[in-house]
Amino acid sequence: MFSFIAQAHAQTIEVNGVVQDASGFPIPGVNVLVKNTTKGTVTDFDGNFTITNVDAGSTLSFSYIGYVTKEIIVNDSTTITVQLEEDVAQLSEVVVIGYGTQTKKEITGAVSVVGAETIEKLKPTRIEQALQGQVAGVNITTNTGSPGGSSTISIRGVSTNGDSRPLILVDGNVVEDLSVINPNDIESMNILKDATAGIYGVRAANGVILITTKTGRKEMPLTVEYNAYAGFQQTTRKLPVLNATEYAVIVNEGYAAAGSTPPFSDLSNLGIGTDWQDEVFESAPIMNHNITFRGGKEKSSYSYSSSFLTQDGIVGGKKSNFTRFTNALTYNLDFLENFKFKSGLTLTRTKKNNLPESTLGSVLFNAVNMAPNLPVRDVNGEFTLANGLGGEVVNPLAQMHNTYNKNKVMKLNGFAGLAYNFLEHFTAEANIQFNYSEVDTYTFDPIDFYGVGKVFNTLTSEVFEGFDIYRDYTFDAFVKYENTFNDVHKLNVLLGTSVFKTTGVFSGRRGRNIRDNNPAFARVDLTLDNEDIYAERGSNPKFDGRLLSYFTRLQYDYKGKYLLSAVVRRDGSTRFGPGNKFGYFPSGSLGWIVSDEEFMSDSNFFDLLKIRASYGILGNDRIGDYRFVSLLTGEGTYFFGGNDAEDEIFGKASGGIANPEIKWEKQKTLDIGVDMRFLDSKINITADYFKRRTEDLLVSPEVSGLLGTGAAPVVNAGVVENTGIEFAIGYSDTIGEDFKFNINYNVTGLKNEVVSVSGEGEYLEGGDFGISQPAIARMEAGYPLGYFVGYKTDGVFQTQDEVDNAAVTSVATQPGDFKFVDQNNDGVIDLDDRVDLGNPIPDATMGLNISFDYKNFDFSAYTFASIGNEIVRNYERNQQLVNKPIWYLDRWTGRGSTNAAPRQTTGTNPNTLFSDYYVEDGSFVRLQNIQLGYTFSNNEEDPIIDKFRIYVSANNLFTLTEYRGYDPTAGTGAPIGGGIDQGIYPSASTFLLGINVKF
Amino acid sequence: MKNLKYIYLLLASLIVLSCGDDFVDVASEDENSEDFFNSEKDYQLALVAAYDYLQTTSKFYQYAEIASDNTLCGGESATDSPYIQEIDDMIHSPVGQSDGGLRTMWQWMYEAVNRCNYIMEFQDKTDFPNKTSVIAQTRFLRAYYNFILVKWWGDVPMLRDKRIRFGDQFTIDRTPKSEVYDLIEEDLIFAAANLPYVQSETGRVTKGAAQALLGKVYLYQNTKFDKAAEVLEDLINNGPHRLLTSEEYPNMFERDWENNIESVFEIQYSDVDGGSFDCFQCLEGNYSTYFNGPRGFVDATGKFDAGYSFNVPTQEVVDAFEDGDLRYETSILDIEQYIIDNPGSSYDETAGYEQTGYFNRKYIARKGDLDIADAALTNPDNYRAIRFADVLLMAAEALAEEGDYVQARIYLNRVRNRAQLPDVTTSGDNLINDIYKERRVELVGEGHRFFDLVRTGRAAQEIDGFITGKHELFPIPIEEINLSGGRWAQNPGY
Repeated sequence: MFSFIAQAHAQTIEVNGVVQDASGFPIPGVNVLVKNTTKGTVTDFDGNFTITNVDAGSTLSFSYIGYVTKEIIVNDSTTITVQLEEDVAQLSEVVVIGYGTQTKKEITGAVSVVGAETIEKLKPTRIEQALQGQVAGVNITTNTGSPGGSSTISIRGVSTNGDSRPLILVDGNVVEDLSVINPNDIESMNILKDATAGIYGVRAANGVILITTKTGRKEMPLTVEYNAYAGFQQTTRKLPVLNATEYAVIVNEGYAAAGSTPPFSDLSNLGIGTDWQDEVFESAPIMNHNITFRGGKEKSSYSYSSSFLTQDGIVGGKKSNFTRFTNALTYNLDFLENFKFKSGLTLTRTKKNNLPESTLGSVLFNAVNMAPNLPVRDVNGEFTLANGLGGEVVNPLAQMHNTYNKNKVMKLNGFAGLAYNFLEHFTAEANIQFNYSEVDTYTFDPIDFYGVGKVFNTLTSEVFEGFDIYRDYTFDAFVKYENTFNDVHKLNVLLGTSVFKTTGVFSGRRGRNIRDNNPAFARVDLTLDNEDIYAERGSNPKFDGRLLSYFTRLQYDYKGKYLLSAVVRRDGSTRFGPGNKFGYFPSGSLGWIVSDEEFMSDSNFFDLLKIRASYGILGNDRIGDYRFVSLLTGEGTYFFGGNDAEDEIFGKASGGIANPEIKWEKQKTLDIGVDMRFLDSKINITADYFKRRTEDLLVSPEVSGLLGTGAAPVVNAGVVENTGIEFAIGYSDTIGEDFKFNINYNVTGLKNEVVSVSGEGEYLEGGDFGISQPAIARMEAGYPLGYFVGYKTDGVFQTQDEVDNAAVTSVATQPGDFKFVDQNNDGVIDLDDRVDLGNPIPDATMGLNISFDYKNFDFSAYTFASIGNEIVRNYERNQQLVNKPIWYLDRWTGRGSTNAAPRQTTGTNPNTLFSDYYVEDGSFVRLQNIQLGYTFSNNEEDPIIDKFRIYVSANNLFTLTEYRGYDPTAGTGAPIGGGIDQGIYPSASTFLLGINVKF
Repeated sequence: MKNLKYIYLLLASLIVLSCGDDFVDVASEDENSEDFFNSEKDYQLALVAAYDYLQTTSKFYQYAEIASDNTLCGGESATDSPYIQEIDDMIHSPVGQSDGGLRTMWQWMYEAVNRCNYIMEFQDKTDFPNKTSVIAQTRFLRAYYNFILVKWWGDVPMLRDKRIRFGDQFTIDRTPKSEVYDLIEEDLIFAAANLPYVQSETGRVTKGAAQALLGKVYLYQNTKFDKAAEVLEDLINNGPHRLLTSEEYPNMFERDWENNIESVFEIQYSDVDGGSFDCFQCLEGNYSTYFNGPRGFVDATGKFDAGYSFNVPTQEVVDAFEDGDLRYETSILDIEQYIIDNPGSSYDETAGYEQTGYFNRKYIARKGDLDIADAALTNPDNYRAIRFADVLLMAAEALAEEGDYVQARIYLNRVRNRAQLPDVTTSGDNLINDIYKERRVELVGEGHRFFDLVRTGRAAQEIDGFITGKHELFPIPIEEINLSGGRWAQNPGY
């Protein structure tokens, strides 16, 4: 009866039309909905739609990701053309938050998004490069600038002395090695920085990076995109070192000061000598091709992409080449309207050639330390021997020539998921993700001789072939309930489970005495003297680690204004022993959209004003497997009956020291943030305050030697706090018809403090400096994690009288040597006089990104900066005949000459002891990318080519810094001992020419 | 209805695949140390691992030599390995001993003792015919390691037949030196009673090794000269060992003469595995021989390798050799003379710290090994831990202390005659001093001198900077005291 009346009052009409974008191109796949009904359709390939039986006076809603939803009231049967505006504000942008999505407006956590366009602009070869400077709170440290080399990502500071990497999920799949990902496949990266990451419980404590890859859309015509670039890379910097004549002067002075005969009697014909850095650095090519096919039918969508990247190194060229080949396929199918399937499969192959890098003895270390008076090759055409330069410094060209190390990775990963919508409000989803990788490692050490007493001399050639298999899978299953009550109470409840299992098996074979010392014969199979290192040594080649989780989440909002989310997760890990396997991790967040309040409706100033807060406890299990039991993994080899290989017996001994009591590390995270958009969403601001307190810190502290030499046990000891603020502002506008621009700036201020360590009020140490000196970095209560400890200098002794009247070390001291500060005034300089000399954690990091489009031109520039981090210079070998940086010319040469640098001597002196002389300010500003593009206009009716753009781009163009080493982004990523520059392989400058074509 | 099937399917898979808690309750793929010792093989493999730490003791003999008046530290510079420079100068302290210093050495010896006690803890688990031999070897090794601990640090924390496990470090106190010695004696008496004089494999502990070490342990206690003499004479008279002849002697420390008839106990090293500075205790090679060698040494004869110029003999010990002493050439490498004698040879005379021009020829690396990386660390030079000459001199000393000068002189003169030196005819304190003098030159470079001076009360007069009442023992590293709960008193004077 009721419905009859309703129908009688309504007149039904038919509406058809076309949906276009601002430039008049049809948009397929637009959702057309009759508001407040379930009636709707989707636009076809040509943007057309037809919708029948619509009540006159209904509102049609046209929505599509990336465009502002448009509503049109229809009264009569009609044909309409709907033009959708691109959504600059992107408030309706969907953000992946873990087992679901939310619109940006609904989000109550601290989540940052890096979109495909940023990745497209930055042309990263690895995705970490696209994060640097883009996202407040995310800091990237370069471990090495070599092709395919890794970086360390830290989100909101370093909170553990163990593994502080965030959890990275690609389409739900846990990924550890980022070098296998093709950045071009990425649709978006969402960075969950606060406790709302807790839905990922396990390993989410260091933040979560969710990567979504590109896929097709339903009703999408086949689109082909081809992107390619090629260019070259060169070093950003050469260290200024002494030329041959300057070198001889300094060396002679050093010998004379020690009472030895100066080695260079005639300086007149030494000249400039060899510039070893020029010899090792080269301009290296880089090239990338990427082709993507995407499309969709009525019920399905697909994508396929293939990419090829090859990049030589600026040191060693092909000897440090990185090549990556990826193939990715996705396929989504709606079996039924309420039963959907999604899947993806990626095959990646990478190959990387490795040179010794970023350590003492690396190619660059040698290039800096090698004597400039020596030629590259001697009169016989052989590589010059580096005699007299200490055991570690060798001719870097000979070293490159003799290095044949590489590794290859074949990785197959994929996912498949089913989602079933039932009883109107329920969705059940099951997803499986898997990774399978095969890692081939190859090293060949030929017989070589670099000079007397060199540690790299090899008399027995050896080849090693490793083959490791890694497998893991994640299975998630969950049920969601979504409903809205009385139009104002929106409820979303999730209940699910997740299991993760990772296993692997290692194998390796070693062969010796390679025929003719010839790389062509350097295969284990071709050697007579070979062994299987696992089988013959009785070592176990397998591992098995697992996680089991149950989780539930409740999301509620009232009128879309008051938002609440709460998560409880129960995680179990094989890394903890009986009784400690499981942990419960709750988190919650609140949001208030102030701008939707009535009292704000008058002002109209804010398009969005949201205040949000979150708090939660997250668990961390990132430690080694089975550290709660003592396993027979120790080394215990001895020889009976002789000392040959057949006499060697591999015994059994305990490995790591076990602590049965280890349990989950807990991270308590508070975040208070505000999101604002105003002036027609032209300006947006996000600001956050956060405090992360890590308790029951899982650390491997120094323990009593009574426990032996096994790897330090893992214990729950210590508290670390990271407190900080993040601020990001963006301004985008259009001036006139043709000029669009976008400016984004973000800054993060961070304070890191170790609140307590261990039970004994002690500190943990790490970080090597020089040769056999005490560790220089510490984790100690009251200081930042990994701060440097060493002597403070107070100038240079000018006279013997000063030396006699001052506290000195046990090393004989003379005028011209450093005057160390006697902190405890006990009359001697000893280890107790070492003090805090700074730390590698930046006080602030920031990024500034500018882009504008004018007519067919587009331009962008990305910069980032790091302020207040210290770097330790540790790439000098301090041997009597090695070369030195040019600032040694400003040495102390006699009373009153300088108070800033010590004398030169080959004799005994305390100047090489770790002091503030070796600590430098590592602050920098870097122009990471600058790009200019031109898109060709297309006036044809039905063009074959939809888009054709060419561009020139330069990456890492310049860096402003006081730091004197190669690269101020240097770091090992180690929480204790990071920020020590061992002669890092610098990030290259890259100059590219590229095209984007879309069919 | 069709839809309902999917619901069931999904819910069923959710339940089935959402495994129980036992999903994360699986055993490691690696063997659990608590489930071991199920066969003879398991015991034998654990025993091999206990032997393994003999190889770490090269650091002890090297540092003890540097601590004595025989050698200087040397090395690259005054800041190279400060802890060992300090030991040389008798200014060492409990601070700064990590990462290669006394703390590392302490840790190694506890690992070694723990490996022995691992076997002892499970000694009753499984029976097999050779078990007595396994236990006897284990107990010798435990005694060998405990003897090092008690020599260097005096009263030391000790558990008997039980591993020290995580948590125990906060409860174990320092066991008085005398009790440590009691266990050492007990272990060695057991080992001597249950091991043969000749093992089928070289490198295995023998009855002779146990007797020689027992004699040495008695000697070190200064109150048991009678027992020392008894066990050492038993070995001299009944054991298989003899001195190499004067003709044979120059080969004593060469690789072709390893495990020779004079060698009573010898630590085995090999060049077949590589190694790195990251893990000295993992090495199969003898790092110390390379460390003792001359920097930048090019030997035209092809005999010697270069090195890192540590542990360089002083002029004083060179002068301690009598004219015509056969042993001088074998013991001391006079580098300048060597270069003159072997044209084409050279070395980096200006490199290195506090160089004397002399090197420890017994233990510098020879060429001709595989030199697998790192070549400095993979030298196959065995350490003759106890030589028969040492046994004779110990017996002579014990007998002289007991007043049997006749027999003491016989043993002493066997050693002297082999060195082509005339008989000693002294008695009483003069004889004892002659035995001391003989020990110094016979055993120079082998790491015995420092503790010989300490146990005979002569250290303060011979070693510059040695303070009586302090330097007899080494300090317990500060970290070790702190990390065990700060309950142990430091050794006196530190």
